[in-house]
Amino acid sequence: MMEPLLTLTGVSKSFGELKALHQIDLQINSGEVIGLVGSNGAGKTTLLRLMAGVYTPSSGTVLLSDGQPVTQMRQALGVVPESTGLYSRLTAWENIRYHSRMHGVSDRSAWARTAKFAHHLDMSENLGRHTKGFSRGMKQKTALLRALAHGPSILLLDEPTAGLDITSARTVRKLVEQLKQEGGTVIYSTHQLAEAEQVCDRIVIVHNGDIRADGSPHQLLEETETQTLEEAYVALTKDAARSRQEDDEKEARFTGWWRRFFTPKPPVHLMEEVKESE
Amino acid sequence: MSDFSTHRIRAIAKKEVVEFVRDWRTIMAIIVIPLLMFPLLFILFPILLESEAAELDALELSIVIQTNEMEPTLEMAIETAGIEFSIEPLANLTELSEPGEDLERVRNSSVDAILRFEQDNSTWNYAILHLSTSERSNEAWNRLLDALSTWEKEEVERRIADSGMDVNATLDPLRWDGDVTQSDVATSGEQAGMVLSLFIPLVLAIWTYSSALQPSIDMTAGERERGTLEALLCLPCSRLELLLGKWVAVATITGVGVLLQICGLLFAIGYLASSSVIGLPELSIGTVALLATAILLFAIMVVALELALAMRSHSVKEAGSILAPMLLLIVFPALFTQVINLDGIESFWFAIPVVNILLALRELLMNRVITEHIIIWAGSSIFYAGLAAYYASRQFNREDIVTSLS
Repeated sequence: MMEPLLTLTGVSKSFGELKALHQIDLQINSGEVIGLVGSNGAGKTTLLRLMAGVYTPSSGTVLLSDGQPVTQMRQALGVVPESTGLYSRLTAWENIRYHSRMHGVSDRSAWARTAKFAHHLDMSENLGRHTKGFSRGMKQKTALLRALAHGPSILLLDEPTAGLDITSARTVRKLVEQLKQEGGTVIYSTHQLAEAEQVCDRIVIVHNGDIRADGSPHQLLEETETQTLEEAYVALTKDAARSRQEDDEKEARFTGWWRRFFTPKPPVHLMEEVKESE
Repeated sequence: MSDFSTHRIRAIAKKEVVEFVRDWRTIMAIIVIPLLMFPLLFILFPILLESEAAELDALELSIVIQTNEMEPTLEMAIETAGIEFSIEPLANLTELSEPGEDLERVRNSSVDAILRFEQDNSTWNYAILHLSTSERSNEAWNRLLDALSTWEKEEVERRIADSGMDVNATLDPLRWDGDVTQSDVATSGEQAGMVLSLFIPLVLAIWTYSSALQPSIDMTAGERERGTLEALLCLPCSRLELLLGKWVAVATITGVGVLLQICGLLFAIGYLASSSVIGLPELSIGTVALLATAILLFAIMVVALELALAMRSHSVKEAGSILAPMLLLIVFPALFTQVINLDGIESFWFAIPVVNILLALRELLMNRVITEHIIIWAGSSIFYAGLAAYYASRQFNREDIVTSLS
């Protein structure tokens, strides 16, 4: 029986008019690998940010099992955000060391863990290089090393294999497996169902701010009476996905009006001409 | 997680400074240029001006004098001034200043200037045709005016003497007796303080603001734009620690920039003092400490305000378009305080933001230590600095700072 680690109860999150998440109930158990699956704009990143304590819910609670606020678990948290968040004028190791120091971990200890994982990710040679010239894949690997260097027991990964080549993506998945075996909890956001199926014990399908399904891949297939996870996903998310417009919604009214004033309308007349010519 | 750890604040500040130092362009802008600005302005610029003046003096100019009757004493005065010229007959003109047929000659620089003059009974009428946009023509104009002025003075003296009057008594009936500098009871140090108080506060205020501009934007809006802030916000550090770490980094960079500029300024003043152009101000240790306190309080307020406003912005461009025009909020009060008379100044002036510190700097540079004023400017500055810091902490606690353009 897995112990509950984190509980989200009736969590809603709004940005102005936009309801990014509404009435989310979710329990994260320690030692689980959970895949948050959904299209762009579904609310996966917002959910991860709520779990990391970067956002506070508009309503509802995100609490640890002992009732403490979620920010109390940051010491045990490793995060790989969607944008990787590396400083380009620092080397890969300096980026890693900076975060480790903020966690209060000694440089020696951080280096030992980094060296171990860097070997797996084929990054040992690049630790002394400035990240400015790194490819997307190398940045992703560095961000992963940075998240692992202080020995976290909970990992929040926002699309960690995006931009990685096949071999590196496979290595990341293996790393997640390894962390799971060590008793770590991994919350993994992705829009690749195959990857989620391969890595996760439990899949949470997020769509338009709602949780549409929560269970093991097998349970999802049973629930939807489908043969593949792809079919299950399509069955659960029939309504059109909303666009990602968090920032636009939050834009100040005057700024938005000003921008629209200087934005020409789409060339509708050209579309009519095309229709006529057809 | 403790809300306040000096270890984490130090780690943030150190990382920010290291990252900043690694960009050579910002080092040039914040360290090298301030260090060289005043020496270049006060030492090299006058040297350049001197060499330019010497070059102008050495010019051989083409000057024409148009007259129907050359006055021998004037001819001698022009020759004594070292001006070479040719004489042409004066055409029939309504007014001497009318360019007439000579327009093209002066415009195409075949002649640098034309002096026209004619006698009208006991006086002489004259005009100089020149091209004000040409350096050669301007130089010719100046040389002719000097020569004419000398001749006019001699002519006046001659006419006074011819009428039997005492030339000196007629032209200079009121005379200063003795040494002008001796009669000023202000010491050279006080005089130097007075001169420096007219521009040092202005320079310090503008430079503090502009030095903090780039690092403030880079460490806040820059982080948002590059998407590095989200990972940072997930770390076990509070937003207050983040603000303080960044504040320390910006203040360090700004402090170094301003300090280097002061060093450059002192070097230039030292150079000018050795040339007796200006003395060194006489300041007690207490006054210097008060000066440092005033600058520090100003820096706390400015850096906190810049960090707050930059943190509100989504991108470097947006932050720049907000913060750059705000420099005017420093420049206008700074210019205004230069013209405020410090003698008998009302105390409320020392409570107005920005103006208070600039007036304090002026007073202190003039070695005027007035307790009432010190209490008001120190108290109000602490209040404004606290207000700016509170505003900054509110901005750093905003939830949307996590969203980035990337």
